[in-house]
Amino acid sequence: MNIIEVKNLTKKYKKLKAVDDLSFEVRKGEILGLLGPNGSGKSTTINCLLSLLNFSSGSIKIFGEEMKPDSYDIKSKIGVVFQEVSVFEELTVYENIDYFCGLYITDNKTRKKYIEDAIKLVGLEDFKKFYPKKLSGGLLRRLNIACGIAHKPKLIFLDEPTVAVDPQSRNNILDGIKKLRNDGATIVYTTHYMEEVEILCDRVIILDKGKILATGTTDELKELAKIEEKIKVEVNDLDCKYIGEIKDFKNVDEVEYNWNMLLITYKKGKNNLFDIMEYLKKENIKYSKIFSERPTLNDVFLELTGKELRD
Amino acid sequence: MTVFKAFLKILDKNKFIVIMYTVFLISFGGFNMQTSDNNTNFVASKPNIMIVNNDGYKGITKDLIKYIKDNSNIIKLNNNEDTINDGLFYRDVNYVIYIPKNYNNDFINGKNPKIDIKSTGDYKSSYAEMLLSRYIKVANVYQKSINNIDEIITKTNETLKKEIEVEIISKLDTNSLSKATFYYNFASYSILACLIYVICLVLSSFKDIKIQKRIIISSTDYKKINRQLLISNSLFSIVLWLLYVILSFILIKDVMFSYQGMIYLLNSLLFTMCATTIAIFIGNIVYNKDAINGIVNIIALGSSFLCGAFVPMEWLPDGVLKMAHLLPSYYYISSNETLKTLEVFNLDTMGPIIFNLLILIVYSLLFIILTNVVSKRKQKIG
Repeated sequence: MNIIEVKNLTKKYKKLKAVDDLSFEVRKGEILGLLGPNGSGKSTTINCLLSLLNFSSGSIKIFGEEMKPDSYDIKSKIGVVFQEVSVFEELTVYENIDYFCGLYITDNKTRKKYIEDAIKLVGLEDFKKFYPKKLSGGLLRRLNIACGIAHKPKLIFLDEPTVAVDPQSRNNILDGIKKLRNDGATIVYTTHYMEEVEILCDRVIILDKGKILATGTTDELKELAKIEEKIKVEVNDLDCKYIGEIKDFKNVDEVEYNWNMLLITYKKGKNNLFDIMEYLKKENIKYSKIFSERPTLNDVFLELTGKELRD
Repeated sequence: MTVFKAFLKILDKNKFIVIMYTVFLISFGGFNMQTSDNNTNFVASKPNIMIVNNDGYKGITKDLIKYIKDNSNIIKLNNNEDTINDGLFYRDVNYVIYIPKNYNNDFINGKNPKIDIKSTGDYKSSYAEMLLSRYIKVANVYQKSINNIDEIITKTNETLKKEIEVEIISKLDTNSLSKATFYYNFASYSILACLIYVICLVLSSFKDIKIQKRIIISSTDYKKINRQLLISNSLFSIVLWLLYVILSFILIKDVMFSYQGMIYLLNSLLFTMCATTIAIFIGNIVYNKDAINGIVNIIALGSSFLCGAFVPMEWLPDGVLKMAHLLPSYYYISSNETLKTLEVFNLDTMGPIIFNLLILIVYSLLFIILTNVVSKRKQKIG
């Protein structure tokens, strides 16, 4: 069953198409990762889905119904955690969660229980009476999440919730997200951290310039990569002539040598590691480390979206 | 209740600055009224006149000096110009009369002799001049028809003694009413400034774009949230209005227990409601907390000056008053000014006040509609 169905969604800003004929669906109970460089249209897509933005054409159905600004029934089942921390400076942790949960849950007893659950989920039990100004960056992020999900929504949008947080808080947040999914929520997750996507997401959509470049599970996306293997060799003061010779090896796509690290990218082939070790031995080149890697989601992402810098 | 609770908590968090602002403006209003000169009673006073008599003390000269003496304070200074000029400069004397040589004879002969004077040019000197010219004019009239100087003097004195009695039948306590008008006129500034400051301060938290996004995507209708904010702000406004009312009952008790007092209360209540809607409207378009002080100065201080809260309306230029017609404060202050002299209460006399009250209601409705329009537009972020 699809929780979200987007068909031919287009959002134009004058001549610029921020979202260009986008069609996708989000299935019940899955975590869908929305990946893309800055300005790729991720946030615009989410804002259109939430009716925060008017769109130029296309259709959006959430829970089988058309999403409109006054679709309060649909909105009651949605939770959003925005990238920027959105809380009242004047209210304590508990009061903030109470206020935002109160916009959905009017029954005091139920709300109280939900607030406690949310506080427990993000691990803010010891900070209930703290004002946001007194919280660290990681704790603030956790409060931000609690405010977005306290009303136990069935569909949750998480827009880069782990930006600028320490590893401990990140782990806590990721565990919380998994728990939400295990409790039955469907999650749309945007991030720049590829390892988070690999850990969390069931499916991934890679967006760029408002268009879908690729979609599938992380393994399916890795299949799209044109590279088979990456071999890294830690070696001091390697002569240029060896780099040239390695470039001529069978199956080698690219060779880079930076900061005493030799990186050889292979398009295909099975005995690449053995071949390179034999060559290094023959040429009597001393190396301290050598290891082989399969392509990561990051490689796929860079291959699809390009390596040029974005705004 | 959620919005109301958050409103109170935010207000509580800013309580120090809110209390400071409220107490300062209310006490300033009360203090200002106490120290302002609203006295409308008349107390007669006499000018200080110096007479330099170069004629003899006889005939018309003698009688003129006597008349001036009876109606003023005669000041004696050394008869040299420096001393006299100093006396005028320091207001020891308001008016100097130089009676020329042979004044009596020249008068009898119908030569209408010229009397030189020196004056400070203030209202006391005007009164002195009035005394002098009044005597000379009356004496001149009799001189043309009567030849005997004693008879001229007698007739002149008889005429000058005639008085018209004026009886004031109005029982209106204009002094207290003027005080009340001043107090409630000043309140237009304090109420508007305090409400804009406090409401904008609280709303800037609610209307912060990040918070607003969370509210927009929630399942609560924005109209309901606006309604709750309106009620919360109105409650604060009522508390502020009550503080003003209580202070007015302490300071001008007599007026507040009269019909005029009831109308002052109704007028200020409607103005407070109108100011609340204005403050909520501004709070919906300005989110920057640092800009609030500037806005208070421009709107509250500006409209209070233009509409005559500090300077009486009758002193304001026509152009300013025409512009003031666009502002709600004008109608509020206009009613207060009418009340100052209102003694008879009927449909004719109350007409302008009822019109002004209705205008305040119309303004309130207008700002509520504008707030909803702005709020609806801001449901979209781009």
